[in-house]
Amino acid sequence: MLDSKIPEGPLESKWRNYQLKSQLINPANKKKLNVIVVGSGLAGAGAAATLGELGYDVKCFCYQDSARRAHSVAAQGGINAAKNYQHDGDSVWRMFYDTLKGGDFRSREANVFRLAELSAPLIDHYVQQGVPFAREYGGVLVNRSFGGVQVQRTFYARGQTGQQLLLAAYSQLYKMKRAKKVEMFTRHEMLDLVIIEGKAKGIIARDLITGELKRFAADAVVLATGGYSRVFRLSTLAIGCNGSAIWKAHKRGACFAAPSFTQIHPTALPQTSEAQSKLTLMSESLRNDGRIWVPKNKEETRKANEIPEEERDYYLERRYPSFGNLAPRDIASRAAKERIDAGYGVGRLKNAVYLDFKHAIERFGLETIKDRYGNLFKMYKKITGVDAYQEPMQISPAAHFSMGGLWVDYELMTTIPGLYAIGECNFSDHGANRLGANSLLQASIDGYFVLPNTINNYLASALKEDHPTIDHPEFEKVEKEVTDQINKLLSVKGEKTVDHFHRELGKVMWQECAMSRNKEGLVKAIVQIKDIKDAFWKEVNVTGGHQEMNTELEKALRLADFLELGLLMCTDALQREESCGAHFREEFQTSEGEALRNDNAYAYVSAWEYHQGEFKLHKETLDFEYVQPTVRSYK
Amino acid sequence: MFFKKSIIALTGLFLCIFLIVHLSANSILVLPEEMARGLYNSYSTTLRESPLIKVVAYVLYLSIVLHAVYALLITLNNRRAKSKSYSLNRNRENSTWASQNMGLLGITILLFIVVHLANFWARIKLGMGEEVGLDTDGNVDVYEVTYSLFQNIYYVCFYSILMIPLGLHLHHGLKSAFMTLGFYNRKWLRIISKVSLIYAAIMAIGFGIIPFIVFLK
Amino acid sequence: MKVTFRIWRQENKNSKGQFESYEVDGLTEDMSFLEALDYLNELLVTQNKKVIAFEYDCREGICGQCGVFINGRAHGPHDHMTTCQLHMRSFKDGETIVVEPWRATAFPVITDLIVDRSAFDRIIEKGGYITAKTGTAAEANAILIAKEVSDKAMDAAACIGCGACVATCKNSSAALFTAAKINHLNSLPQGKPEATQRVLEMTKQMELEGFGSCTFTGACEVECPEGISLTNIAEMNARRAKAKWFG
Repeated sequence: MLDSKIPEGPLESKWRNYQLKSQLINPANKKKLNVIVVGSGLAGAGAAATLGELGYDVKCFCYQDSARRAHSVAAQGGINAAKNYQHDGDSVWRMFYDTLKGGDFRSREANVFRLAELSAPLIDHYVQQGVPFAREYGGVLVNRSFGGVQVQRTFYARGQTGQQLLLAAYSQLYKMKRAKKVEMFTRHEMLDLVIIEGKAKGIIARDLITGELKRFAADAVVLATGGYSRVFRLSTLAIGCNGSAIWKAHKRGACFAAPSFTQIHPTALPQTSEAQSKLTLMSESLRNDGRIWVPKNKEETRKANEIPEEERDYYLERRYPSFGNLAPRDIASRAAKERIDAGYGVGRLKNAVYLDFKHAIERFGLETIKDRYGNLFKMYKKITGVDAYQEPMQISPAAHFSMGGLWVDYELMTTIPGLYAIGECNFSDHGANRLGANSLLQASIDGYFVLPNTINNYLASALKEDHPTIDHPEFEKVEKEVTDQINKLLSVKGEKTVDHFHRELGKVMWQECAMSRNKEGLVKAIVQIKDIKDAFWKEVNVTGGHQEMNTELEKALRLADFLELGLLMCTDALQREESCGAHFREEFQTSEGEALRNDNAYAYVSAWEYHQGEFKLHKETLDFEYVQPTVRSYK
Repeated sequence: MFFKKSIIALTGLFLCIFLIVHLSANSILVLPEEMARGLYNSYSTTLRESPLIKVVAYVLYLSIVLHAVYALLITLNNRRAKSKSYSLNRNRENSTWASQNMGLLGITILLFIVVHLANFWARIKLGMGEEVGLDTDGNVDVYEVTYSLFQNIYYVCFYSILMIPLGLHLHHGLKSAFMTLGFYNRKWLRIISKVSLIYAAIMAIGFGIIPFIVFLK
Repeated sequence: MKVTFRIWRQENKNSKGQFESYEVDGLTEDMSFLEALDYLNELLVTQNKKVIAFEYDCREGICGQCGVFINGRAHGPHDHMTTCQLHMRSFKDGETIVVEPWRATAFPVITDLIVDRSAFDRIIEKGGYITAKTGTAAEANAILIAKEVSDKAMDAAACIGCGACVATCKNSSAALFTAAKINHLNSLPQGKPEATQRVLEMTKQMELEGFGSCTFTGACEVECPEGISLTNIAEMNARRAKAKWFG
């Protein structure tokens, strides 16, 4: 069932060997082939533009009003690449190792190596597209360090790296739109996948302005729909981010891998009220110079600046002396949770820790800190009204990145032939935990470099087949199912709002399936989520109709899928009886409270198959040929 | 639009230079009467008889017309670009009143120019209204026209108060003209901005105060 | 806290639209402005009414999707801020808050507070890119770019495309948006080969879309969440003049 299609040969040659053997399509034939790309972030826009350049006919979809809004924009910190510009011992191999180790040895060696290998040309690519990366006075590119590694390999464009990369990808997308190779469908949301004779052949999308359901047929479908951490409701994600496209694909046969691997980001702004819709992320790069601490005294009432040095607990530096404040995200988040749960939290709701720049300002001067983080400090002030140059920031862990996603092979194809998943929506390179500044990297590499080189291997065979048309009975059938679901939602006419149920789901997920999990909690969570789901379908009220713009209906459709996805996440977390990366099972920890991995029993990727409301587990065993899994220590 | 905007800027700048010349001539009026009358009249005669100045005068008329006509066209186009005005607009908080109302200020100045031309140009060059005499040197006695006009307190007020919109128009217009024409060096723009303020203040106060001085003579 | 929202409601682009007032109690100062609207929408649902459509996505001031005219200012009463970054602590208890969609002919209202900003995409389509196929790039450090040049390009590139500049401009001019993109690309060595064509085609498209012309009121710079400088427009004018007259 799960064939990862890892190419032959030594690690360094796998990608080249793959390309040598993969089938090619002549340019005259490429234009006869249609590809649908859902999502217009770095992965989606990069893929759509590149496929367009190669000569395919591409249709690209996004739910936002413009492709430029995709949530890739929000990544602040940077993008990693093994350029070794700093001459600090970096290499493709080291980056490969860091990423594999960062992911706690729960990803495929071949995929991760390819990621590291293609990172250097990716920076070249973005520079060529006009991304204004930070530079030295001499004109060369600057790097900085990021959590989880000891070399400086992160490239950045002020605090806007994601925005600048996406603008580059978006501009290429519109370049191809102008060349009439890409057709852009903004404000269109994919609601289902159409499979004909076992192969992905199209989608049903809803025009969010008119409410009209539309059918689109293609020779291959690429999902680039991003992460699903909005399942927690409060997350660092954009409000519109959702898991619907991949969930629908899952229900139509695509295996969902490691759904419970969710990264909790350590440096977000804390929740301040029940009505809160979003936890704003402060870039992890702040941890380069900021020091994290809590008061040593639980009943501390003084202001941060009044607490003397000896009464502060710099807990990351204490527990992880060699990485200190740069410990990987999962570790930093868990350590914060540990302190907060133990009653040392700060802030009005005692749900935060301090991130302090006093020492950095003393050491490097205010100007340097302003130059490095000025926009982040400005943002902090806008949101909280506090000047972080004067007093420490208050930060708190928040749901962030989904390592899990649709299971894909080396070609990034899911278990449904012709259906690809790229970027955050797949499970490929990050294992059980993603390193900082690897997200932009993976999305870009999947979109620009990998997919355009693997999709031909499938499409070459599609040439010989009939092109699908939207009149096929399958389209009719799937469209009807979508219509039925919409009508069902609109006809519930209960008394509660969509957000009410989303808050309920979020609470359960955050409580039981976030930074630390245990069997009892997960079993309970599954029951609770089922109850919420039942209540949702009985009591929700979605006002307005479906033949018009209806933002409430959009939310309801997304939540309906989150409710099912939440179940699978808990199921997955429950079966993995070990702690690895972001997945921390309380039953499996060392006496010092560190994660206890079990390579003998759990060195596999869990891939779930959907069958009439039940989830069936398949295992893809991870063979480590080149690297011996070690205990991940950042002490 | 860019062409029209450039014409507005160029003609505006030309008119700014013209105002300097105009104000220096006007400043003769503040001299003691015996000096002022002779100097002012001989100066205006020289201007009227110089062929070069004739050409400049036509450029000046043309500038005013082009400045106004293109400004009107641009304004109409800009109106079309705004589908609907806001029911509440606090644009005072993000920009100056003058910058938001250049058209209104322009119309006011245009009205002023019409009255001004009727008072002077029409009488002296077209010979309309009461005939203008000659002074002892045989020059047309423009000084007398000016002097008698500014014995009327209403005209004094009219001429002085309308220099306020002129000043506002010049202040925003001068620096914007430079930006429209593509001056973007930040250091120079800061200087231009200050120069615009000083220039506008000198023009408004200079033109505005002279009628009073003449009135009080 | 308690406020009265006076909100523009409009069914679709062809309907007329009008203001409606909603009194909302139970808000807190910690809530963001958009969370207050969420709260109001939940109230409307419980009253079985259709919710107010408004735009948002990232809610952290970077995606550029949100944006409404609040109490007479684009993105609300503060300078250099997006709507999603505005919090209720900026308003007084009992205050009436007037909320309108962006007004510009080139940004037609779709429904309620949502406008169609695709004109911006069409301007970008006319040259807001560097023509370079994937896979053709040279080594990144082969192109040296002085820090000042790179920083200046970054200043211009910071535009998030929210449209506040157009919304606040009395002429609905898109000059700041267009200038920012032109200056970002044209000031970098990578953007030079297409510089002339880019400035001419993008400015032409800007006019075709029905945006007005810039009269340098400076309101756009103040409302721009990224504080993009007005001098960008002057620079665009210079680039355009050069392209037009000297090629």
